[in-house]
Amino acid sequence: MVGQTEKQPDPRWAWAAYEPDADRPWNLARAGHLYRRAAFGASWEQLQQALSDGPQLTIDKLLQPKAEAAQFDRTYDEYETATGSVDQLRAWWLRRMILTPHPLQEKMTLFWHSHFATNAAKVKNARLMQQHVGLLRSQALGSFRILLESISQDPAVLIWVGAEANRKARPNENLARALMETFTLGPDHCTDDDIRGASRAFTGWFLLRSKLRYISREHDNGEKQILGRKGNFARDDVTRIMLEEPATSRRLVRKLYSWLISETAGPDEALISPLAESFATDYDVLKLVETMLRSNLLFSAAAYRRRIKSPAEFAVGIVRALEGSASTTQLATDLADLGQDLYHPPTVKGWAGGQHWINSTAMVARQNLASALLRGSGPYGNKLNPWAVAQKHGCATPESARRFLLDLFLQGGLDSVAHDALTKTIRQQDEDLEGRTRSLAHAIVTLAEFHLA
Amino acid sequence: MSYTRRDFLKATLGASTMLSFASDAPNFLVRAATAGAARTDDRDTVLVVVQMSGGNDGLNTVVPYADDEYGRNRPTLALKGKDVLKIDSYLGFHPRMEAFSRLYEEGHLSILHGVGYPNSDRSHDGAMRDWHTAEPDDPDCQTGWLGRAADNVWHTNQKDTPTVFVGPIVQPFGLRAEHVIIPSIKSLDDLILDSEPAEFQQDRAVDKNDELLRFVRECRARAGVHSRRIEAVTKATGGADYPAFRLAGTLRTVAQLIRADVGIRVFFTELGGGGIGGFDNHANQLGNHCSLLNHLSESLAAFVDDLKKDKQLDRVLLMTISEFGRTVKENGRRGTGHGVSAPIFLAGGKLKGGRVGSHPSLTDLDNGAMKFHTDFRRVYATVLDRWLGFESRPVLGRQYKPLEILNV
Repeated sequence: MVGQTEKQPDPRWAWAAYEPDADRPWNLARAGHLYRRAAFGASWEQLQQALSDGPQLTIDKLLQPKAEAAQFDRTYDEYETATGSVDQLRAWWLRRMILTPHPLQEKMTLFWHSHFATNAAKVKNARLMQQHVGLLRSQALGSFRILLESISQDPAVLIWVGAEANRKARPNENLARALMETFTLGPDHCTDDDIRGASRAFTGWFLLRSKLRYISREHDNGEKQILGRKGNFARDDVTRIMLEEPATSRRLVRKLYSWLISETAGPDEALISPLAESFATDYDVLKLVETMLRSNLLFSAAAYRRRIKSPAEFAVGIVRALEGSASTTQLATDLADLGQDLYHPPTVKGWAGGQHWINSTAMVARQNLASALLRGSGPYGNKLNPWAVAQKHGCATPESARRFLLDLFLQGGLDSVAHDALTKTIRQQDEDLEGRTRSLAHAIVTLAEFHLA
Repeated sequence: MSYTRRDFLKATLGASTMLSFASDAPNFLVRAATAGAARTDDRDTVLVVVQMSGGNDGLNTVVPYADDEYGRNRPTLALKGKDVLKIDSYLGFHPRMEAFSRLYEEGHLSILHGVGYPNSDRSHDGAMRDWHTAEPDDPDCQTGWLGRAADNVWHTNQKDTPTVFVGPIVQPFGLRAEHVIIPSIKSLDDLILDSEPAEFQQDRAVDKNDELLRFVRECRARAGVHSRRIEAVTKATGGADYPAFRLAGTLRTVAQLIRADVGIRVFFTELGGGGIGGFDNHANQLGNHCSLLNHLSESLAAFVDDLKKDKQLDRVLLMTISEFGRTVKENGRRGTGHGVSAPIFLAGGKLKGGRVGSHPSLTDLDNGAMKFHTDFRRVYATVLDRWLGFESRPVLGRQYKPLEILNV
């Protein structure tokens, strides 16, 4: 990542809850920023509600869903269960992101999808993939302990890493390696001997016709050594030991830091430690996410626009802001072309993201996707209409629509050069007002600032 | 070389497009300034890989017509000495590969004989995966060799896409990268902006601490420049004639992107359809193989001629790959089974030319198929190290001995 020369803040101040004051008022920019991190952007009503609610209540609502969220999830679970193809699962997930009353849950499901990255092209079973992402969703803001234990026996994961058979005579190291090097400790905190020890603890587990079976005569009952501990370990001991290691919570906190706070500056250990120590006591994801979302740090300059939106954040953000919908079958394909093929992360390490999302080719594809979404015709039809949204919220003139869309998408921070260019766009006389507003919305969402979260 | 190229661009694209270059330093200068760690220099050579899906029958491509064993093993499939396009007193090209024969004469085509690798399981999926991962001993390898190469040369200020797939099928696994996103291009429209929003007449100030915003802005500006260049190249007339084959259309797109000079160093293309089929001729091989070879030969020649005309050929190396060769003996259905070794073809302007290595024996066989003597990873190492200037060792896991096949 691009190195930023920012002074690391005092951890106590950084993680204390943000309280608006004269220097750091609660305003549209901070509300929009919060919604980019905790959700997929905001609609105008959500921004206005956030302004009147203040940060605490807004974050409460983002963390704790309204009653209708449970019904929403049940309905979509049923749709997905009835689905026979991963292509349809991709489309349903994008639909959830666009319509869910609990966007933070989908945002965190996406986080776990990249952390426990499992690729449907190898699993070749839509039902197992649906169960896998369903598991991620059920614990997206739940317990990392339950998540890890479930992942270590998830059929989709076992197929993906190539650990369907764990024989006593030939321990399979694939699951142990993924678990230790990628899902928990990281490669610098375990040796090949630790991985061999853990793989012996996994012996006896087999995936037969997509079901997990334990064959006790295939389990190695001998003493194993894992990270300095000795014992006749079995599967659950391995996940327990991983969770006892401080490297696990540190790594997870760092990863969540770059997901919610900033991708640009690697936080120093002092900043990570307090959160990692707390996380290690209960592995409560909701609590960790809450600390970050409420923090002074999140609402400081060190976090503002210090992430690059993933393709899904970019596209879903446009759709949610304009209170419309989109063909998510088409969108899933277009996002895949941009490098974020849902249900198909490239390797077990997930999407690298950050600056990897962006280059000149990706920018052409993002601009063309935005154009297709906003055109009012073509594959995405006429489901987004910026002028109608502007009118709904009280705009009657091109100039008021320009100000409205800038506040909706960017909440300020643009220089006069950009303002002049956008003013020119809305004043072009060769199109009707609806068409000009479409062009203007396209001009705004293709600004570099809009690619940043 | 760069001078010639910019000259060409100016002539083709006209002065107005040249203006847009002014705001954007030439690629090679930017590259020199920001070269990645695993790059050994700032060259601008291009590699084009053509995958022949299904397992090409090398024996009926480069034909040992004078070998009695050839005719004996292939009662219906053998091509006759009087029909093949002779390379020497032993070998000749398939009769419908006139264009290959000409390229060979001109020194723009090399034949690498007997390429393969140990312990191929001779299944399409398994063998193709091995050619893609270049890690035959690791069936769970999650990245492809060109994907790893792209990852290794990536650097934090990289604004161009170094590697692309061009074609209508699912992106081949050889391009699977851990970090870098490798786009699949179906047509040049994928690289041209539908509409260019908000032109900025002045430079916009960026807070010096905001490297991320600066990076995205620069990529955005570059997207506009590249889009205009590609659009101009598509409108340019006077290009070479390409036959109406699918691969020819793909290679024409590749040639246009090479001309547009947008920083792409590696192009991956495909002939045969990606899955089983294509070159996989277990029955009635003769006609189908003949038309595929003609397709390959005419398409490649049109590409080479096009680039040569524009003085671009010296920066381009094309390489064919296929998952395996085929059995020496034909089966009872006028077809052949899955084999081991096959030739690789190289085309370009900087080849030593001719044949490399001996033609494998038709009698000393590995389970019915000709043995390999050159590991394909040596070929990969050669194109990475010697041609692209991408360090091969981190990509292939060890240092393979390069082949003396290039004039560089």
